[in-house]
This record gives sequence, C-alpha cells and structure tokens, in this order.
Amino acid sequence: MKRTFLGEFEEVVLLVVAACTEDAYGVIIWEQLQEQTGRSITISAVHATLYRLEEKGYLSSQMGGATAERGGRRKRFFTVTALGSRALLEIQEMRQRLWQAIPQGKLQLIGQ
Amino acid sequence: MNPNQPPPPPNWPDKLLNWLVAPHLREEVLGDIHERFALRMQRLGERRARQTYWREVLAYLRPQFIKRRPSEYAKPLFTDMIRNYIKTAWRNLTKNQFYSLINMTGLTVGLAVGLLILLWVQSELSFDRFHRQADSIYRLENWAGTGSSRQIWTVTVAPIADYAKKQVPEVNDAVRISYNGSYTLFRYKDKLFKEDNTFFTDPSLFPVFDFQLIQGNPAAPFPDNSSVVLTETTAKRYFGDENPLGKTLSVDDKTSFKVSGVVRDFPKNSSIRADILLPISLMFKDRYTNRDDDKTLANDFSQFNYNTYLLLQPGASISSVAEKLRAIHLSHKPDDTDLSYLLQPLPDMHLYRADGTNGGIETVRMFGIIALLILTIACINYVNLSTARAMLRSKEVSMRKIVGAARSQLFMQFLVETALLFSLATLLALGLIYLLLPVYNQISGKELVLNLLDSQLWQVMGLTILGTLAASSIYPALLLSSFEPLKALRGKISARLSDVAFRKVLVVTQFAVSVILIAGTFIIGKQLQYIRSKELGYDKTHVFAFFMRDMGKHYEAVKADLLNQPGVAGVTRASANIVQLGEQTGDTQWDGKEQGETMFVYPVAIDKDFVPFFRMKLQQGANFTGAVADSTRFILNEAAVKAARIQNPVGKRFKLWDRDGTIVGVVKDFHFASMRQKIEPAVFYYAPDRLNAIYVKTTGNEAEPVLAATERSWKQYNANYPFEYFFLDKLFDNLYRVEQRTGTLFNLFASIAILISCLGLFGLATFTAQVRTREIGVRKILGASIAEIIQLLAKDFIRLVIIAIVIAVPIAWYTMHQWLQNFAYKIDIEWWVFGLAGLLAVGIALLTVSFQSIKAALMNPVKSLRTE
Repeated sequence: MKRTFLGEFEEVVLLVVAACTEDAYGVIIWEQLQEQTGRSITISAVHATLYRLEEKGYLSSQMGGATAERGGRRKRFFTVTALGSRALLEIQEMRQRLWQAIPQGKLQLIGQ
Repeated sequence: MNPNQPPPPPNWPDKLLNWLVAPHLREEVLGDIHERFALRMQRLGERRARQTYWREVLAYLRPQFIKRRPSEYAKPLFTDMIRNYIKTAWRNLTKNQFYSLINMTGLTVGLAVGLLILLWVQSELSFDRFHRQADSIYRLENWAGTGSSRQIWTVTVAPIADYAKKQVPEVNDAVRISYNGSYTLFRYKDKLFKEDNTFFTDPSLFPVFDFQLIQGNPAAPFPDNSSVVLTETTAKRYFGDENPLGKTLSVDDKTSFKVSGVVRDFPKNSSIRADILLPISLMFKDRYTNRDDDKTLANDFSQFNYNTYLLLQPGASISSVAEKLRAIHLSHKPDDTDLSYLLQPLPDMHLYRADGTNGGIETVRMFGIIALLILTIACINYVNLSTARAMLRSKEVSMRKIVGAARSQLFMQFLVETALLFSLATLLALGLIYLLLPVYNQISGKELVLNLLDSQLWQVMGLTILGTLAASSIYPALLLSSFEPLKALRGKISARLSDVAFRKVLVVTQFAVSVILIAGTFIIGKQLQYIRSKELGYDKTHVFAFFMRDMGKHYEAVKADLLNQPGVAGVTRASANIVQLGEQTGDTQWDGKEQGETMFVYPVAIDKDFVPFFRMKLQQGANFTGAVADSTRFILNEAAVKAARIQNPVGKRFKLWDRDGTIVGVVKDFHFASMRQKIEPAVFYYAPDRLNAIYVKTTGNEAEPVLAATERSWKQYNANYPFEYFFLDKLFDNLYRVEQRTGTLFNLFASIAILISCLGLFGLATFTAQVRTREIGVRKILGASIAEIIQLLAKDFIRLVIIAIVIAVPIAWYTMHQWLQNFAYKIDIEWWVFGLAGLLAVGIALLTVSFQSIKAALMNPVKSLRTE
C-alpha cells in the first residue's frame, strides 16, 4: 500500500475535521485549531492544508450552506474519507506501539 | 443603510483575491474570509478587523491558490484558437486542391524567382563595399579634351599620387595600380603559365584596401624589385601544397621573382582583381632608367597609365581635393589647361560610369523592379483567388460570427491561413532556389551561394517574405471577416461592387505588367540583334589573331608560308586588337588646332594589307603603299577628321607624338569598341616595329588545318610559349556578354511573370465558370450556342486585358526608351512592337480563359442544372 506522508499540521487538521460535530468548513476548522493547539494560524494556511489533504484523498468536500455574512457565498464542507480514517488509525496504532515499547521508568529520566 | 447589516469588508483586497485566486477556489475562500471578518467585527471592532483583513488576504499569495486547474474543456485562449485556425486552414487547403495548387505554384515560383533576382541585386550592390575604409577611398579620374572630344579617363599620370600625398593634406594615402604587360610567362620547375591578370601596385594597396595578406609583411609586401605577391589560388597552381614564401619564379626566361607574400583571393565582388601583384617601383625602374629624354617619375605628366586610388580624410571635400590636384598638375605641365581631376567613390565604381552617371545600376534597378513585379503578381494571384472564393466561405464565416467570433478573431484566422500557405510555399521556394542556383549562376555569370549563415541573406529573404505575406493576407482577411452573418446566410453577399472592381484592378495591373515585360523582351532582343548585325565598317568573319612575340621578326617568311596554305585568304598585322582598341593618346597636332585643345585618338599601327584585309572603305585618298615613306603618312577615320575640323584632309599636316607627317587617306568609320560608345577618332600610322598582332583570314571551312599550320609555325619561333589565338567573332561576342546576359535574364523573368499571371487568370476563369455553371445550363437550354457561351465568359477578361494594354504601352515605351539611352547606336522603338505585345497578351489571356470556358460551354446542361 502506498503510504502518503502526513505532516504534523496536516495530521492535526485531519483530526480536527474528524472530530468536528457539526459540518466542517474553513472557519469552523480554523477556530477549532486555534482552540486546540493554541497557536495563531492564518486562515490561508488552513485552506492550503485542506486542499492538499483533499488532493491526497484523505478528505472529500461538497459545497453548500450560504449565509449573509459570507455575501451569499457557499461553504465547502469537508468530511474524512475512508483513506483518511485509515491513515489516522494507522498513525495512532504506530504511536500506540511505540508508547508501549518505552521501557518502564525511562520516560521519567528523559523528562528530567 | 440597514443598521442590522454589518459593514462589508474592504473592497480592494477582494478585488485582488478575485483576480489572483483560481476560479474554482474563489467562492469558498472569499466566503470564509468574509465570515471571519464578520466574526472579528463582533469581537474586536471594525478597525482591528480591517487591519487583520489585509494581512489575511495577502497570506493567500501563494502558488497553491493562484495555480489554475487544468480544464477538461477547451478554453478559447489564443493558442487553442490558433490551433483551430491551422486545422481549418489545412482542411481548406486539402479540400480545394486545385486552387491550392494554383496558389502554391504561383507563390512558390514567384518567391523563388523574386528571391533569386534579389540575391543577384544584393550581390551587385555589395561590390567594393567590403573594405573597412570604402567610404573614404576614391578613384582618381581625369576629364580631358574639349568640345566633342572631351572625355573621361580612369587612368592618371604616375607622379600625381606622390604629390597628392605630400602636398594635399586631405589625402591620407594613395595607391597606384597598373596593368602588367611586360612580365607574362611565369615558370616554377615544370609548371609554366602565361599570366594575363597581373598588376603592378604600390605597397599601400594592403593598408588602404582590405585585401588580406595571409603570408608576408603587410607593411612591406615587396622587400625589393624582384618580389612578387601571389593570390592563394595562383600560389597553389605553382607550388601545390608547398609553402610558397621565398620560392623563386622565373619569368620570361630572363628574370626571376621571389615570392614575398600570399594574398587571399580577391573577393568576387571586388572591382580590383588580380592573380599576381608586382611592385610598381619595378615598372618605374624599367620605364625611367636609361631614357634618352629627360622624363623621370617625378616629371612625367603625360603618361596616363595608372589607376590611382586616394584614401581621403573622413569628411574631406572632394571638389577641393580635385582642384588642388589640378593646380599641382598644371604647375608641372602648364599646357594641360583642358585637364581637370575628379574623384569617384570606390563603391560607385562597379555600378556607375566614371563620370558618375548611371551604369550598371540601371540594370540593377530594372531587375529589382522586375523582382518586385513578380512578387506583386504572385500576391495578386493569391488575393484574387481568395477573395473571389470568399463567397464560398461566407457560411463558415457567418457561423463563426454567430457562435461568437469577433471580427478580429476572424481576421486572425485568415491571416493564419495565409501564413500557413506561405510557409509551405517558402519552404518549396527555398528548395527550388537550391536546385536552380547552379543554372542561374551559369546564366547570370555570378557565383551566388545559398549560404544559410549569411545574415544579409536572411534580411533579404525575411523582408521579402514578410512583405509579400502582408501584401497578400491583409485584404482577403479584411474582406472575409467583414461579412454580415444574416445576409451571408441568406446568400445575399454576391460580392459587393467594390470588391469586384478591386479584383478587376488587380487583374489589370497583372496584365499591364505582363505587357510591359513582353514589350521589353522584344525591344531588348531587337537591340541586341541590331548590335550584333550592325555594319561594323570592317569584316571580321573567319579571322583569327594572336600576338606574334618572336615570330614578329620573321613576319615576311611566316606570311609567305601561311599564304601558301590552302584555306588562308589573307594575312595582315597591326599593333592592336581591332575589336577593342585600348591605347589612346592626346599627343596630337594638326593645322587649325586651337590653343589648349586636345583631341584624343586611338593610334593603330598597321601595314599596307590592313585596310583591304578588313574590307574597310577609304572615303578619300589612298592606302599605305608599303614604302619607307609610309612612316610619315597617316590615315584618319571620319570621326577624327570631324573632331579636328579638317577640311579636305588629304595632304594636310598631322602629328602623332613626335611623328610628323601628312594625311594620305580617310577611312570610313568602323566600330572598334562596344556599341554603347560612339565611334571615336582613330589614326592609322605605319611603324613596322610595333606590328606585333597578326591577323589570319581563313576561307571559313578549313579553319582547323590553318590553325594547325599556324601553330607549327609558332612553335618554330616561340618554342617555349603556348600558342594562344582568338577568333574575332568570339571576341566581339564577348563585348556584349553583359548585354546578352541581361537579355537572357530579362526573357526568363518576363516569361515567369507572364506564367504566374496566367496561372492566376486560369484560376479566376475556372472559378467564374464554376460559379456560373447553372447560368450556362439555363442559357444553353434557351438556345445559346457554344460560341456565345465562350464569348460570354471570355469577354470580361479580354476587356480587362485591353485596358491593361492601354495602361502598359506608355510605361513600356518610356522605360525602354531610357534603357536604349545606354547605347550610342540603337534601334527606334516602333509602334508595332507594342501592338504585337498587346496581341500576345490578349492571345495568352484568351488561351488561358478559353480552356475553362469551352469546358463550361460543352457541359451537358442537364448535368449542370442538377448540381446542388
């Protein structure tokens, strides 16, 4: 299976999309990201990452839900694809394995 | 303004985004940032929101957002349309193969011939311009003589060059070149050649002109008087691959020369060309040492024998230099009051006569114009055919317009179509040029090469092709793109009146050009015929001649021997070549000569057989008798008698050089130069020691044995020298080689121009017949005869051709009249020439048109009416 490398920011964005309870689109995702990571992020960076993820096949999107603040423009709603979920799960699994492989007491040493 | 509605975000950033961000992303991006703007407004207030808005917008300036998504549908962008145009054009070309063929042939031939001519013109114009100092080099010439005897000399006296350098500040340098007739037979080991093209020259030849010394020292090319400089080719002839420098050539078995330099072969477009160069100091040494008179190089102002070139300072006044030189000349030889100096720019030497009037430039202009005419005719063909056939494409144009094509796009389309046809034609034309070049070089006597690395060649070709492309594409493109779709679709565009009129104008132009060229061909042909058949005043048939060298001492024995040969009709001798006399002198005296007057004469030493041998007519008096007393007798030609204004010349005193004597006879004028020149004064005198040219007349059918016998006799006295003879007829033809070439080329070009015009006419006629197929069918059914139908179709064209003739005749008359001015002896232009030319044009047009007309007229009306 072809593995696509997922960057750290991409991974976070993908997770945020997956975690969204409502329909995920640019502004919502951005707000969640700010909230969860505490970083200051420009919306263009979010957009860029979303499109990149879509290109890679981890996200799919559809248009809809125009509002007045948007000047009547539609939103692009993103959902995680099967490929996206599998990628997330794989990453989690790998991390899990690594976490379990850490010998007892080592983490404290490192932590010092 | 509605207070509930939040203020909109700033306008400018939005515009920027609209322009920058790829279309498929625009909507959501703008939507999202607007939404964010609204949120910020609520939280932070309008001012902060606006500030951050700008920052956010600028953050979209990255390739990911700007890059457009490739579309699966064709976008009507520039390149896509061009591709479509080319496809349409190609389909059109292949669909109408007949018209494409006509167009292609016309354009290809036109371009090829036009370019060939322009190459020739370019090569003519490039003469002598390759010297870096070409603009500052002048040839020094003299005006000499008075009244009808006034003439220009391109040779000067020797000392003037030295005085010019020393005493005229504007003169930077001077070069003298003089023909070498004294050292002719060069030998290296077993290689022996008689050299005819050798010159004495000043060493300044190399710094002044751009003749490149490959070996040797340019500052001192001739270290001493026995030095010689060879051209590369000449050096190869003697020494092969050996290094020529320092090798010794023995000359005439008397002296020897050491090779001191090798010069690159003189360029073909140089007026100064030689095989071997000798130091001019050697010539002066031979001429001025051991003389019994007091003439020296510094004071000999009467020997006009040197081509002198002056290198002037930039911006020097030519006339003032000429004045100063005249003053110098007069201070040394006060009685030359009728002599004045003038300077001709070096680059003018080839195409202008010595006095600056038009020479070869006339031909160059004529051919330049012919090239333009041929190209014009080819363009007209294209324009005519494509506009005539425009109707057939009106539907396509209309559809394109209705679908949304702008006029400029249609214009572009037809431009591309023409360009496509042109590029094909250009390729073919280049191939054709490549094939024709050897033949063309042979006819034109040039050595043109298609050097694709030559930038000048590309300039000529590029300009020609662009020019013709522009001329032939713009009008059809304008016309075709101008159709109004509704009218065109209803079939109502039956070509506006002005278009038809324009086409007629073009056909008339084409045929006018053809008529001019036909008439020109006739007149040039007649003039050439006239020159060759004009009574020369002497009989040169079956005469061959050669210079006797050592045979001259035994002339009487040789003569007796030859006269015994069967096939020899006569033998005589003279000092010069009668077909083209070269030597001229102004050193003449006669009773009644005015102070300061000079009459230049061509002096020819002859023996008593000369006049009867050439069947010359004595107008008055008697021939030489062969007695010793002949050496004080002169025979003048009529021109000399007239120029000297001598009444009853026989018995009057005459003096040539220091030879005092009386006139015993007057010979009828005879042509001893090209017909371009008037017959000038000539004087026969008797001097047995100068008679080194022998003339042998054969009976005609036995030339071979006579030549063999002569050669045997030659070998007897000149064992070492090759026997070189020439027939006067052939020599005479050489006089007119340039004219013959001009004539041949003119014929050729005229035929091609006419051919291309006919091609166009043929296409037009075919088209007319095609369009009128049904009309012809109906007419036939109603009882029209075949003759009537042919007449109907041909009438229009014939009318145009007749108009063309009316326009062409005066132009043809004027131009040919101008051309004939080049000749002192010329034909009168007769009216019937134009009649014939016109008739021919009508005939050709009729022939071209009638083929299609007859075909159309013979067609079965049932068939033609069933079409569509």
